[in-house]
Formats: sequence, C-alpha cells, structure tokens
Amino acid sequence: MAAVAERPRPVLHQEYCKGCGRCIEACTPGCIEAGTAIHPLTGLLPVTLHLESCNGCGLCVEACPEPYGMVAGDAPRLSPGASPRPFGRPPREPAAADEPAERVALPETRPLMLKGAHAAAVGALLAGCRHVYGYPITPSTDGAELMARLLPGLGGTFVQAVSEVATVNMMYGCGGAGRPAMTFTSSPGFSLMLEGISFMIGAEVPGVFVNVMRGGPGLGNIGPEQSDVKLACHGLGHGHTQAVVLAPSTPQEMLDLTFLAFELSFRYRNPVVVLADGYLGQMTGRVRLPPALVRPGLPAWAVPGDAAHRQNLICSFHLAEPDLEAHNHRLTEKYRRIAAAEQRADLYRCEDAEVLLVACHMPARMAKGAVRVLRGEGVAAGLFRPQTLWPFPVDALRPLLGRARRVVVVEASEGQLEDELRLALAREGTALPALAHVRRCGGMLPSQREIVEGVRAALRAGEARA
Amino acid sequence: MSTFYERFERHDHAAGLKAKSTHYCAGCGHGLVHRYLSEAIEELGLQDRTVAVSPVGCAVFLYYYFDVGNTQAAHGRAPAVAIGHKTANPEAVVVSYQGDGDLASIGLAEIVQAAQLGMPLSVIFVNNAVYGMTGGQMAPTTLMGQRTTTSPAGRDRHMGQPLKMAEMMAGMEGPIYVERVALYDAKQRVRARKAVRKALQLQAEGKGFAFVEVLAECPTHLKMTPAEAERWVRDELAAAFPLGVKKEVAGTAWGAWPVPVFEPEAVLRAAGALAEPAPRFCAGFPHTAFGPDVAVKLAGAGGDGAQTAALVLARAAIAEGFDATSIPSYGPESRGGTSSADVRIAEEEVLSPAAPAPHVLVAFNAPSLSRFGPAVVPGGLVLYDSSVIADPPALDPSVRLLGVPFAEIALELGQGMAKNVVALGALQGASGLFPEETLLAAVRQGLGDRGAGAALHEEAFRRGVRAAEAQAGGAGAFGWWH
Repeated sequence: MAAVAERPRPVLHQEYCKGCGRCIEACTPGCIEAGTAIHPLTGLLPVTLHLESCNGCGLCVEACPEPYGMVAGDAPRLSPGASPRPFGRPPREPAAADEPAERVALPETRPLMLKGAHAAAVGALLAGCRHVYGYPITPSTDGAELMARLLPGLGGTFVQAVSEVATVNMMYGCGGAGRPAMTFTSSPGFSLMLEGISFMIGAEVPGVFVNVMRGGPGLGNIGPEQSDVKLACHGLGHGHTQAVVLAPSTPQEMLDLTFLAFELSFRYRNPVVVLADGYLGQMTGRVRLPPALVRPGLPAWAVPGDAAHRQNLICSFHLAEPDLEAHNHRLTEKYRRIAAAEQRADLYRCEDAEVLLVACHMPARMAKGAVRVLRGEGVAAGLFRPQTLWPFPVDALRPLLGRARRVVVVEASEGQLEDELRLALAREGTALPALAHVRRCGGMLPSQREIVEGVRAALRAGEARA
Repeated sequence: MSTFYERFERHDHAAGLKAKSTHYCAGCGHGLVHRYLSEAIEELGLQDRTVAVSPVGCAVFLYYYFDVGNTQAAHGRAPAVAIGHKTANPEAVVVSYQGDGDLASIGLAEIVQAAQLGMPLSVIFVNNAVYGMTGGQMAPTTLMGQRTTTSPAGRDRHMGQPLKMAEMMAGMEGPIYVERVALYDAKQRVRARKAVRKALQLQAEGKGFAFVEVLAECPTHLKMTPAEAERWVRDELAAAFPLGVKKEVAGTAWGAWPVPVFEPEAVLRAAGALAEPAPRFCAGFPHTAFGPDVAVKLAGAGGDGAQTAALVLARAAIAEGFDATSIPSYGPESRGGTSSADVRIAEEEVLSPAAPAPHVLVAFNAPSLSRFGPAVVPGGLVLYDSSVIADPPALDPSVRLLGVPFAEIALELGQGMAKNVVALGALQGASGLFPEETLLAAVRQGLGDRGAGAALHEEAFRRGVRAAEAQAGGAGAFGWWH
C-alpha cells in the first residue's frame, strides 16, 4: 500500500471543466471551490483548486464526469504498473485486414427433394450462415424450424426473438460482428423489420432476409401474393435505402439465390432480400446442390470485439449535415454500382418473341406454361423473368422491345411488378411498349389458362387498334 | 487509467475542445457512468474483448469516447443488438448501455427477452427520470407529481406509475445479478463503480446476465443546479427507487458456446444429401396422352395423409431422374377442412406446378371428390376411397372412376393411418404410372418406419395395387401411359 504522501494530487484541466461542482462536495478538506471567472474558451465557470491541504484521496477525480477534466496528477500511482501517461491509450493498432471467405468443393450428390423454404435454409447453410434469428410467421416458418433443428449440429445458433423488431436488431448485431446472419419472415413481419433494415443499410451491415410473401394489406391472409415488391424495391425503411431484391421461382432458385444473397450481402456490405411467395415457400421440388460451400471469413470493418478490430464502429448516425450528405452520396454510388453489375433475368423463348410475358416468382411458372401453349398455337410468345427486382434487369429487357409488339405483365398483385417495369424503362428513357396485364391478388394466382386468354385478348386489342 | 480515446475523433472531428470533452451537460450522470465503465474495462483487462452498444438518447454518442469495439443501436434495441454480437462472438464482452426511455419504454420487450434469456451480457441502465435528448418529456420512470414537458401539471395516476426496472429484472429467472446504485455522493459513487465492474466481470467469467440501474442526475431538464439535482436524486428519486442489490445468485454457468462447423460432410449430412442414391427402375418417362407433364391432385380431410402421399409421389419421380413438384393447397380450396396437394411430374421441367385441371384425382372423402372431381380432364382418372364414399357423383363419362376401400384395407392391416399408402398402391395398380418398385422405394424412403412400420407399408401398398387392378380389370388398365 502506497503511503498517503505518495498519492497523486489532482490536476484540473480548466478547459474541460464544466463547473458542475460534484468535486466540491466530494473533497473533505475543502480544497475546491466554485469558479467565479468565466473561462475564455468555454464560456463556463470551471472550479478552482487550492491544494495546500490536499491529502490525495482521489475522490474529486472519481466525482468528475469529464474524462479529461479532473485527473490524477503525475505523482507516483496508487496501482503499480499503471501507465504514467495521464491521457488515454497509446495509438491504435494497425487496422485489421480482410480475412477472406473460402470456398470448399463439395462432392457431387444426388438431387434432393426440398420444400422451397427448406431449400433456402440449405442454401444459407452452404453459404456459411450459422446464425439465424427469427419470429414464427406463416408461411415462412418452415425455414426457421429447419434451422432450429440443424444448426445445433453445425455449431450454429438459432435464437427465437421476441418479435420481428428484435429479430432484425439481432441480425444487425451479428452482421455488425462480421458474421453471416439471416431470418425467415413473411410480409407483416417484414414490415416490422423495416426500421432495422434502414439501420443496416445506413451502417452498411450485411444480412439476408428471406421474405415469403403473403396476401395483404394488414393481416391479409396466408396465400401467395407478390405483395411486397414495392416495399422491397422502394420502401426499405426510412431514408435513401436500396437493397438487392432476388426473386426465385423454383425450389432450386430458393437455394441458389439465397446462397448468392450472402455473397452479395458481404460484397456490398448491404442487406439482401430474397423475396419469395407463399406457394414457393411451401412447394416441394427437385434441388441440386452447388459445387462448393463457403467457409466465411471476417471482414476488416467488423466489430467482433477483438484487438484487431477495436477501432471499428457500426453506426448509421451522422450528426453533421455535410457528413450525412457525403455518406448518402457514397451509398448512392454503391447503389449505382449494384444496379450496373447485379441485374439478373432468365429469358425463355424471348429471342424471336413478338409478345413478351413479364413475370416472376410463382406466376412466372404459370406464365412459362402459357408460353408453351401459345407457341403451340403459333403465337411467338416469350417469358422475361426478372431474377432481381431491384435492380430491375432493364439491360436485358431493352433489346427485346424492338421485336416484341406487346408486353403482358403477369403478376399476383395489383400492378407492383408492372410499376417496377415502368419505372426502370422510364429511368432509362426507353419508350414504354404497349402494356397489358394479367393480375390476380389476395392469395389467388393467375392460372395458365387466364394468362393464355389474357395474351390472346391483348393481341386482339392490338390488332383492332392497328 | 481508462479506456477512453486519447482524442475524441468522432466528436465533431475532434474540433477544438471537443477532442477531449464530452457532449454532456454540466452535472449529468452519464459522464460518471462512462468513467466507471471505462475504468472497469481497463482494470479487468477487457479492452480487447469489449463491444459497447450505444443506445438512442443522450448516451447515443457513447462511441465517441470508448476505445473498444462500438455499435450504435436503434432506439430501444440495444439488448437485441447485444444478443446478436454475443452470439456472433461469444468471447466478446458485450455491454448494452441504455437510458430510461430507451430501455423502460420503447425497448421493454427487448430488455425482458434478453434478461430472461440469461445470456451473459452486461446491461447498464441510466435512470434519470426524464427523456433528455428529446427535451424533457415524461419517462416511464418519471416520479408521481414530477413536471415534464408532457406532464406539465405533474405526473398523475392517469399517466401510470413509475416503472421499477431493477425490481422487474430481479423478479425474473434469467438475471444473476441486479443492483440499483446512485451517484449523488462519494459513498454512492464507490458503490456504482463496483457494481458496473461486477456486471462486466460476471460476463467476462461467462456467468450470466447482469443488470445495473444507475439513478442519475439530469440538472438541465430538472431545471436545477447540479448540486440541487444530486439532492433531488437522493431525497426523491432514491425514495421511489430504493437502492441496493435486488438479486444475486450464483446461477449456473452459461456453458460452452457452439463452435461453427463448415466441414462439407457435416453440412451435407445435415442437408440430407449423404443418403444413398435411390435405385432407378424406369426405362423412360411414362408417355401419356396428356404430354410430358402429368398432374395429380390428392385431396382429403386433414390427417388423411394426402400431403404425405403427394410428397412420396414427387419423390418417386425425382428419384427416377424426372422433375416433380408438390404443393399444398391454398386459398378457398383449403377451407372446409379439406387438405389437398397438387403434384406435377415432368420429364424435363415442371412449368406450372398447380393442378387446377388434374389428370388424376385421388379423393379420400366425399367433399373432396365432389369439389375436385368435375375439374379432372376428359379421359382422366379418379380414385376414391369407397369405404367412405358410397355414391360417387356423376362425372364426365370419359373420366374413369374407380372406388378402392383405402381405409378398410388399412384397418384390416391394423393401421388406419396407412390408408394413404393404400391409395398410392391403388394409383399404381390403376395407372401403371411407374414400375411398382419406384413407388415402393419412395414409400420406404419417405415413410421409413413411421407409423405402422416398413413391412406394413409395403403390404398396404401391395393390397392397394391388387384392389385397383381387380376393379380396373388388369394392371395399369387405363393404358394411357406406357
């Protein structure tokens, strides 16, 4: 125990003293008094010290709310081994480098038979995701249930959150720590996650949302509807937000696009939405596994809590307006890069198509069947199927519009997909083609027959006008 | 010594005095709690293990000051973010730092879940009885009679009683340590310092969830001098929120955290991809009058096994190298207790997976037969359970209607649940869709020893085949797929 005489006496840095006076009361010998002179830099009244009778008790230091206001002086320390430096830490360690993800080849296996939601779960496991957070909601829950069953055997973690709001924030924490995180949800649950998604986008945190859409608005129903196209493409919470929106239409794509979602999410430090519909989540089909799985790395920007990443911060807050403007410009530039590089579409018999059906998700399956029927009738029909809804694959669409006399948008919503098409073409300055549509909603899907009839009607209308 | 940054670069780019001073008002309690937290991290040697989660509220800028891993959370969500960090990196010591509006109002669900989960986390809750950052509104912990901008005449009972978070936490099973401390004099500050340190230590040792509520001063919104605010906390706030340890139990250690596994074999096994490939029996795709795409609808009451039978059928087709899908019914079809599934089987690719006009209908009850029978395509096949359907409705004359007592046969075998396997056998017997072994292998793979056991399933299947053949007048008597 150090002798009393060796205790350090306090040093007051007046420019950091706000004059709260907590130290005055703390000082038994009465060495400190309220200030009377305004400090020229702060405009505040710092306390004044008279250390003649100071016994070095340190209580004034412990009472000071300012890190660098009242500090222990340079006298020998109470605790041996403590740094003699009065202020803060030595300079930071060099920043961590990216620890890259690694692909590990998989042997060829027989095709599996998987439900769509399960295929997405398997895709996530192969993409290296071992952290799943979720809240039960029909018709997405099968994915979470499978994860809850499989993750313990793979050293993973499934946490059933108290709500979708908590779910997305757990993903924010896990993704911020640099780990691949995901959830399964459905439309009303996705709505609840939007604030958190906005935070993830602002703070540039990766994470994958598999949204098995159902009928809306409100509680709607649990039937398949393309109800969240608008929300996912243009409404990801407050602020200027965008995320890649993938649109699978088979169990195989549920796996492949969920797998891809993790890659894109980390490549761009941004959430990715895998938008599916209720039918697709429940549908069982043939699924082949990819040639490799991913052993995730650890990005340099992550906050795992270790020494190498200590300087990092996950944060969407930029108090100064110029800072936030600059941040938004950077995000906008990122969105531009994504829009240029990540458009995806699948074209079926489009090369010579004079009538182009545009559809995604489950309605694209019916539309594909309709194309076959129409071709059988001698109608040069083709299916343009966006696999990314944002960015809309306008680059692949534009060349087809010269030949295609008519475009028929087939969807299970009241025009949400068509709006994406219109917006994408308008932004490109491309003239809108003659548009017709086949729509169902409320959990009803357009049937193959309805689509065939809708295309025939559109063609007749076109001829009548001509 | 502490773990404060040497310069607060994030505080307005460390302009002028901001490089070394906080944004807090004079006399604010946050600065002291920061000091104790910072010292505890330093003393426990946790700087290179700590993740601090900043809240929304006056402490939103926690990350300006602490030289540790930092994350800023949405309002109220810090405990959920902390769970994300902790599960991602269990070695990390994760501190969730929150004010009263954040933790006790908008974030109640998150703090309750985190606490009851009991995961090793350190929650520092700064209660100053008012919303600071938004300008002095009523907090969940505002005292009765206390004037705020949203309780201008003083909080009364119509605004609810102050919420005692420490007591609530202590009443739950999850937390192992809950204490309420204060800052108003040197003695209380020593206790506060110790409590904060303890909350971190318990997590560093992997023990469990710790919660420290700190009664703090907000002179600005109390409209008091710092000294008056200290006295108010001592005389008023601490009277309503009694200080002290509210809960302390040894608890059981949280235990080992999982270590993620990425070995291909483990992942493939989990995905069910390591099973032996099913043998093939088909010479080629069954050619039918309906083209390279067969639609089968299976319908019954919930529990009849239509969904399972549909999956077995799809599995059989996939095992033969074809494409197949199965979807459970949706929309109006699912009303009235009917459970139906659509199976599509295609040589190359199933285009449209729904079966609104099936080639084959397997009906387990009368409502299903009445509902879906008329939709069957001309020349199609309808199989129904004749043990429960005495009078089948009249259908298109070109549709072949075949009654097989699914349930009766299953009951004869002592296992009523196996009637869907009988139905699959009947489908086989009537249609000859695939070689018999194809479906049998899928039954074995799909049902295994479930229910009546493999031998019983096989027998149920074979009896279904024989019964349908007898009715139809020979194996695969319909003859439209050969």
